[in-house]
Amino acid sequence: MSLTRVQCERFTAFEKITVDFSPGLNVFIGANGTGKTHLMKIAYAACDISKTKLDFAEKLCRVFLPSGMALGRLVKRQKASSRGTIEVHRAEGKLRVSFTNHTAKADLATVVGAADWCSRPIESVYIPVKEMLSNAPGFRSLYSQREVHFEEIYADILDRAYRPSLRGPTDSERWKLLTTLQKAMDGKVLIKEEEFFLKNKQGNLEFTLLAEGIRKLGLLWILIQNGTLMKGSILFWDEPETNLNPKMYGELMEILLRLQRSGVQVFLATHDYVILKELDLRKNLSDKITYHSLFRDDNGQIKWQPADRYLDIHPNVIAQAFADLYDREVKRTMGWSAE
Amino acid sequence: MTILAEGNLQIAVPAEAKPRKFDDFTHGLTHCMKTVDFIIELNNRYLFIEFKDPQHPDSRQRDRDKFISRFLAGNIDEDFKYKYRDSFLYEWASGKIDKPIYYFVLVALDTLTEAELITRTDALKRVIPVDGPPSGRWKKRIVAGCAFFNINSWNRVLSDYPVSRIPT
Repeated sequence: MSLTRVQCERFTAFEKITVDFSPGLNVFIGANGTGKTHLMKIAYAACDISKTKLDFAEKLCRVFLPSGMALGRLVKRQKASSRGTIEVHRAEGKLRVSFTNHTAKADLATVVGAADWCSRPIESVYIPVKEMLSNAPGFRSLYSQREVHFEEIYADILDRAYRPSLRGPTDSERWKLLTTLQKAMDGKVLIKEEEFFLKNKQGNLEFTLLAEGIRKLGLLWILIQNGTLMKGSILFWDEPETNLNPKMYGELMEILLRLQRSGVQVFLATHDYVILKELDLRKNLSDKITYHSLFRDDNGQIKWQPADRYLDIHPNVIAQAFADLYDREVKRTMGWSAE
Repeated sequence: MTILAEGNLQIAVPAEAKPRKFDDFTHGLTHCMKTVDFIIELNNRYLFIEFKDPQHPDSRQRDRDKFISRFLAGNIDEDFKYKYRDSFLYEWASGKIDKPIYYFVLVALDTLTEAELITRTDALKRVIPVDGPPSGRWKKRIVAGCAFFNINSWNRVLSDYPVSRIPT
């Protein structure tokens, strides 16, 4: 059920790009403005409509939030009229949408393959950079009743978080993942009247009193506990490192690797060396990891270069930043700058 | 140009420098003092140089992996620290500490990233210690600077002293 490819032509920052995915763990790296988040949002929108049956173009609008909800504004900007297209592939087929820069509303776009695509729904989760659980009470009803200017990924993640627990006993793999997370955040998550609490020996702590990093771990705990992240589902996580102490990265990456081993397809976008290195040091030979390097070529076009091993990532903007730091450090050590 | 060798690695030193192998039989105290591999005297400084070669063609994968994990965890920092300090003490007692000293450690391992090198360099600075006590009581520095390198970064930064593997 995993996604195999996203193809874009003249969409947002992309002129033309094809990105092939690993069925396991996919890690996007690249400088700001190279489209990491955009690729994940496209893929997520396609997964989400397979369950909600919403129009793909409409979901793209809600996820990207172009001004005035004018879909045409998502076509890559250029002087002449132009048409943008997106294709999302999986083994069982593909979903395609195309529209021009003059397309004012989503229902004027051409969507192909939606009926077949939606006949095999994909469970998916998109964890955005900004933490939402602490702002959850009231946000969902506000979002559903009023025109609030929030990308829909924020409302969607709360919908997933509020799902009730799965029936029946917790299987051993899920139990292990939950236990690891409970140890890391020192408690379990409790939902009371739409409010999230961390329940531990001290009592019930409101999420607003917790560090943002702990809230993120809490969200992951909920998604595993309520069965949203199970075999066949897809997790998108934009910059998991945000607000998390690097000491916690290792355990978090271990959990993502284990989710991948249990059949969850995982997508990450990161700017962090420690995240990459933790994955590199913790992966098994059987793990399916693809690093996707996104970069601008000499003409300013965004290109894609995949690698299966950390050291083969090229270009690696994160390593380049460290190489620059290292060279300056050594030069200072040798007193070269003073000579 | 002079070529100095240590195991499977060699360093080419320009004619104006005065290099010597420090850990050979002439040292006389290797039973109780640790030593760096080479000392190179330049007109305005000394370079204390230590080579580690976990990627030696004859090394076993198991030993290589063990070295990497110990090195990255900082478990060999003490060894590098004492190699420097004992060499410094030996040279001080010989009356040869008349210029600033720079301590360079080459770890010949292709997979070492700059992020790892910079982390280990910071750790080495702390344990030697480069800056002395916070009180500023030390009137002299025991080392002017220190750094870890892999072969690539060595040849990029220290291009006048290129390091290579000895052809077989």
